[in-house]
Amino acid sequence: MSATLADIFSFLALLMRYPEESFFDDEFLDTLEDLLKSIDLQPYQQRIAYWRSKVADQLLDAQVEYTRLFINGAPHVIAPPYGSVYLEGEQSLQGKSTETTRDFYRQYGFDIVNKAEPADHISLELEFLSCLYRQEEITAAEKFLHTFFLPWFEPFYQQLMPELRHPLYEVSMQLISFFVQEDQ
Amino acid sequence: MAINLTRRNFLKTASIAAAGIPLSKVVARAETGIAKAPLIPPGSFKDTKTVTGGICEMCFWRCQLVGKVRGDRLVKLEGNPKSIDNGQNLCARGNSGIKLVYDPDRLKYPMKNIGKRGAPKWQKISWDEALNICADKLQATIDKYGPKGIAVWYHGASAHYPNAYFDYLGVPNKYEPAFYQCRGQTAMAMMQTLGFVPNEDVDMPNSKAMLLVGCHIGENIHLSHVKNFLKGLENGSKVVVVDPRFSAAAAKAHIWVQIKPGTDTAFLLGLMNYMFDKEIYNKTFAKKYCLGLKRLKKHVAEWTVEKTAAECDIPAKQIVEVAELLAKNAPNVSIHPGRHAAWYGNDFQRVRANACLTAILGAMDCPGGIVRIKRMSSGHVHWPEVDHEEDPEEMALAEVVEKYPFRPPGTPPELMRDTMISGKPYPIKSLVVWGTNSIKTMPRQERTEKALANMDFILVTDVTPTDITMWADILLPEASYLERYGHVEKGTQWNQGDKPQQFLSARMPLIDPMFERKDPVWIINELAKRMGHGKDIPVRNQEEYVNHLLKETGLTIAKLRKLDGIYIQPGESPYLKKGEEPKFDTDSGKIELYSEAMEDEDFPPLPTYTKTAEPPKGFARMIYGRSPVHTFNRTANNAWLAREIPENPLWINDESAKKMGLKDGDRVFLENQDGKKSVSSTVVKTTPGIRKDCVFIAHGFGTFNPAMTVGFHKGIDDNSLNTKINREGETGISGMRINFVRVIKDGKVIDIPA
Ligand code: SF4
Repeated sequence: MSATLADIFSFLALLMRYPEESFFDDEFLDTLEDLLKSIDLQPYQQRIAYWRSKVADQLLDAQVEYTRLFINGAPHVIAPPYGSVYLEGEQSLQGKSTETTRDFYRQYGFDIVNKAEPADHISLELEFLSCLYRQEEITAAEKFLHTFFLPWFEPFYQQLMPELRHPLYEVSMQLISFFVQEDQ
Repeated sequence: MAINLTRRNFLKTASIAAAGIPLSKVVARAETGIAKAPLIPPGSFKDTKTVTGGICEMCFWRCQLVGKVRGDRLVKLEGNPKSIDNGQNLCARGNSGIKLVYDPDRLKYPMKNIGKRGAPKWQKISWDEALNICADKLQATIDKYGPKGIAVWYHGASAHYPNAYFDYLGVPNKYEPAFYQCRGQTAMAMMQTLGFVPNEDVDMPNSKAMLLVGCHIGENIHLSHVKNFLKGLENGSKVVVVDPRFSAAAAKAHIWVQIKPGTDTAFLLGLMNYMFDKEIYNKTFAKKYCLGLKRLKKHVAEWTVEKTAAECDIPAKQIVEVAELLAKNAPNVSIHPGRHAAWYGNDFQRVRANACLTAILGAMDCPGGIVRIKRMSSGHVHWPEVDHEEDPEEMALAEVVEKYPFRPPGTPPELMRDTMISGKPYPIKSLVVWGTNSIKTMPRQERTEKALANMDFILVTDVTPTDITMWADILLPEASYLERYGHVEKGTQWNQGDKPQQFLSARMPLIDPMFERKDPVWIINELAKRMGHGKDIPVRNQEEYVNHLLKETGLTIAKLRKLDGIYIQPGESPYLKKGEEPKFDTDSGKIELYSEAMEDEDFPPLPTYTKTAEPPKGFARMIYGRSPVHTFNRTANNAWLAREIPENPLWINDESAKKMGLKDGDRVFLENQDGKKSVSSTVVKTTPGIRKDCVFIAHGFGTFNPAMTVGFHKGIDDNSLNTKINREGETGISGMRINFVRVIKDGKVIDIPA
């Protein structure tokens, strides 16, 4: 079970990363559809399939939407995907909670590769969970989910919700939610 | 934590279901963001270290600072304890640099605008792609129109190296708001009169009296400058503040001259006339060192106390009182040269009058006077000299149109903007904006928008998504002043009366830049390589850049680091020694009360007052100034500073307000004489501390780029109401305090009674 979970979380991490040519292609999107089907989320799979049939340059389309939602949108970024923005009083990056997040990684023998990005980017946190599952550190993964990830994922999702009109990101958020929530 | 049973079951089911999908194959193709690292037990990486070598640039005073860094996180900024300038102090903005660094709204990656200019849609792109586009587009402009087809608008230390590159390219038209919307006349008129630019080197701590015409120290906070002012007060100096408004400085004044806006020159001429008349000016100095004393006397003779009082709408006895106070204490008086001078479009003449007053009091090179502070010098980085088909100096617009002979360095911005719109006398088709929010700096925003629309290409580099970034085709994210090398700061002990010392500091990063932010040396070198100029690159990186600036001092970054960021050596007093003669680097070698050069160019050779238009009925003049915790619009998105002062209250005379039915805290919009309405609103502050013929708001508010989520639409953008300008012939600088407003409350327009 852990090995598959590790792969699933790696995949979720990629969904929350800026779409790049290196991984974001037909095979990636096929896999997304397969995953959705496998866990009985057919309506979502159909939304992705429909989007793919309508939009020719899916990479560009995804990049623009990712930029709008998470980086530097117009009119404004919808939801910065960093934990500290939601966990700390004044919207800020690289806060105390970013530091404790990274400390947690390091306690388990992991660290961020690119030191220029804050450790509490949603994609990095999902990838870290994947690393824990791969090492069968199920308890640690659960602890991380409950003490670090979920406390900000909820308000992040709330902030994003009204602007989630792009199928790819609506589905991605549903999918992440599906795998991290307590009660299913 | 024990894993919850339902969740375990759910995960199990889900993973069994997903087991057959080749996830690992797709996943393996992307680079990992998390990797195995040595195991570190909790609590073992908690040391906070002090990093030295920081130089503040929340404003342009450039205090020296240190950072407290935990791991890779900057947690606190403090003044560098070694500083003999700002000492251990920073102002509110200086402290809040941290909120700029970690502002989630900050630019993070290069962006391409795939929407429209002004209504952008952004795509994150790689540096390589961004720079290739910039190189192609700029080259295309050069190929078609020559380097004169490019305009550069810039500000701040990070623009120095880019600027040197555009010089090398032969770009003739560049504009910096520091001159053209701020200190241009202060520098140029002083230069023309005294032969040197005093900046704000005025020895207030050791003065016996000070005269501040329209400067509001305390609202404009430049740390060591404020210290100088306060020390002067503490030492018993008598302060005269000339301001239509009870400013922070006026609150400390012994005499507050509540002058009618726009009449300051008349006031200065009146003071001089009284001093001549009563023969209480510094005769020895004036006779020995000034050219045109007699002519000046004759010229100001019309400004009797009565006439001046009537023109300036002030009591006659105040003029006498001020003149007597200054004359009695001369030469140890601080006639403050001022800073921002782009007021009415006749400001060169006002600053000349200020310089003449200083001169006839002999208030220079002595305790309390304007002083020529002796600082260490450092070098410049230039690109190699190359021949251009057209001489850039001759191609500069002001030269081509043969206007503005006393302009500060660069091209008058509205002249450049007119050219960008009309294509005359030649087309300008690409624009580079580096670190300045020109939509907020240049008056007549609709003209700026028109000029922007007319460009083939616009490159903007900045730290935050300021308003102008909405017009970028390519938007580049720059490392902030806390994340890069650059700028050498030189100065002395803050109080010129103390033991003379000189210091030098070079900006060093306190932390690494996050995301894909880059320093300007890297950006420009990468651009230069792509434009085929790789072989001429003068410095390979930002460290080399700073070491090059330091070369003549014998210092290096490494040496400065060992010295905790600041080198200090014995200095020289700026006061003349006994028997030493002052020197003036003017054409005549004397202080030019009368300027032949000005006469030759058909400008009044003696400081001359011209009236400014009166407010139309129902309107009051909009005067603007500074908010003590903000630096124009640069700090609008800073969460800490915005919490302190989120908007710019409208100061309005309390009696007028009463008649208008306004009270403190009411929300209002403004409408100007041309029917232009403010997009956002602000609160009313009623006060007896402002004249009835004007209202006041601080500049820099009313951000209209929604990407600045903290500052968006907070307060009123004064500049959006500057639809009228008065461009002065001497410098090409436009006066902006010639716009008039009335109030809109609950959709109803309310006239301001006279
Ligand atoms: S005065 Fe304040 S903002 Fe300006 S450089 Fe000094 S600390 Fe920074």
